[in-house]
Amino acid sequence: MSDTSLRGKVAVIGIGLSAVGKVPGRSPLSLAAEAARNALADAGVAKSEVDGVLSSHAFASPFHRFSVAFSEYFGIRPTFSNTLQVSGATAATMFSIGAAAIHGGLAKVVLLVAADSLMTGLTPDLALRSLTESRDQQYEMPFGIPVANTFAMTAHRHMREFGTTPEQLAEVAVVHRRHAAQTPGAQQTTPITVADVLNSPMVTTPYHKLDCSLISDGGAAFVLTSAEHAKALGIGRPIYILGCGECYTHEHIFLMPSLTSTGAVESSRRAYAMAGYRPSDMEVAGIYDCFTGTVVMMLEDLGFCRKGEGGPFVADGQISYRGQIPSNTHGGLLSFAHSGMPGALFHFHEVIAQLRGQCGERQVESAGLGLVHSLGAGFATNATTILGTEGTL
Amino acid sequence: MASDDSAQKPLPAPDADTTTFWRGLREGKLLLQHCRQCRNAQYYQQATCRECGSDELEHKSATGRGKVHSFSVVYRAPGPAFKADVPYAVLLVELAEGPRMISTLTGSDPEDVTFDMEVELAFDQVSDDIALPRFRKA
Repeated sequence: MSDTSLRGKVAVIGIGLSAVGKVPGRSPLSLAAEAARNALADAGVAKSEVDGVLSSHAFASPFHRFSVAFSEYFGIRPTFSNTLQVSGATAATMFSIGAAAIHGGLAKVVLLVAADSLMTGLTPDLALRSLTESRDQQYEMPFGIPVANTFAMTAHRHMREFGTTPEQLAEVAVVHRRHAAQTPGAQQTTPITVADVLNSPMVTTPYHKLDCSLISDGGAAFVLTSAEHAKALGIGRPIYILGCGECYTHEHIFLMPSLTSTGAVESSRRAYAMAGYRPSDMEVAGIYDCFTGTVVMMLEDLGFCRKGEGGPFVADGQISYRGQIPSNTHGGLLSFAHSGMPGALFHFHEVIAQLRGQCGERQVESAGLGLVHSLGAGFATNATTILGTEGTL
Repeated sequence: MASDDSAQKPLPAPDADTTTFWRGLREGKLLLQHCRQCRNAQYYQQATCRECGSDELEHKSATGRGKVHSFSVVYRAPGPAFKADVPYAVLLVELAEGPRMISTLTGSDPEDVTFDMEVELAFDQVSDDIALPRFRKA
């Protein structure tokens, strides 16, 4: 590893959530502040010690510079800040850019924070319209393409090429719901079956309502600092950033190089290379699950199974406990919560909690290495992060 | 935030890069850009070739024939403007010239769309200035 590698240089020392799910009467800034307060308390760090803030845009907030508005709201004056935007992959870039800023001396203690109020602040109809209207104004929007549609077309093509079945897709939703049932505060915990998924109303083929993620309120926050400073602070269980990688292959779905092989292949290859680990070394994962088929395709592109075998891999129980890679043990976007840009931060929160051994009855036994993959905009943006305990350095 | 006139279907607003493209559609032609340097054919319209960066681009009419690379039939409209249209099939069409484009099916049952189905261009004049390129079963 060269001196410039980020591997193991930066640690996550605090994690926090706001109230999550259906949380009426709370602005995105208020939810962000609650998550930030919880993350700083978890780290045992005062807000006055935060000199960097990274955030993402909130649909239900009028503030374009969310990180700046947040800092004012929270009563801090950071000397490093930005509001990042690569859609669903933004969460991962908050970690990599925050780590790079710390390693490069731009900041010492960076707060990552994002929240939105899609469910009650914006309402589901407006949230879906906002997402739809973020697509190309000339070549996509005039045709009435729902946000689910681009992802649906990739899944549909995957079914065509590899024989992936609606039942296998539905199984993804079933597993996530089972995981959410063990997670305090999860938005949807009522058990569902494959038949329930297939009998739920069709949204856009091949996706039924229960193949689609939730619409939620809520936020999450994290505190990053250098490995040295984490030691000086006496942090009990620092979780290290071991590897990160990104890949951006297109903006428009019609320029996606392949509908069934995504930028996750390259983003994860880079993350594994930096971390010095292989897919089979991962013990727990957070995989962006905006739709059921997304998980199937990511399991392949992240190297957990071979191309085309994601469907049988899920149906075989490989993404749950005692499977090959327990994934989204909090229930994911499909059943825990999906509040837009912060959505993947919930995956980070869960994987880090797993690595710290804090997950109670849903704990994956002695998990030391974890992967989070976040993505967005019909697979236009992909980012992979590998995290580990002290023992994995 | 979502726009206020949600009952209106969004119409493309041609810009400096795309005026020629939309004028072509109004005149019954789907224009692709062909690069004189590297022979790349591209959809959508822009000032330079996406492959080699050359600005020597020539507009040529596409044959309008293609096949369905993937598709998804919409049952839940993305907003009030499209509610009356469901179900409708969104197509990812691979044109005979190579480039892919997004459009919708017209003129037949959306539930009959299949992979690799042959389609041909159908112009849909949705306003005085705008004709949308849709596809019908060939």
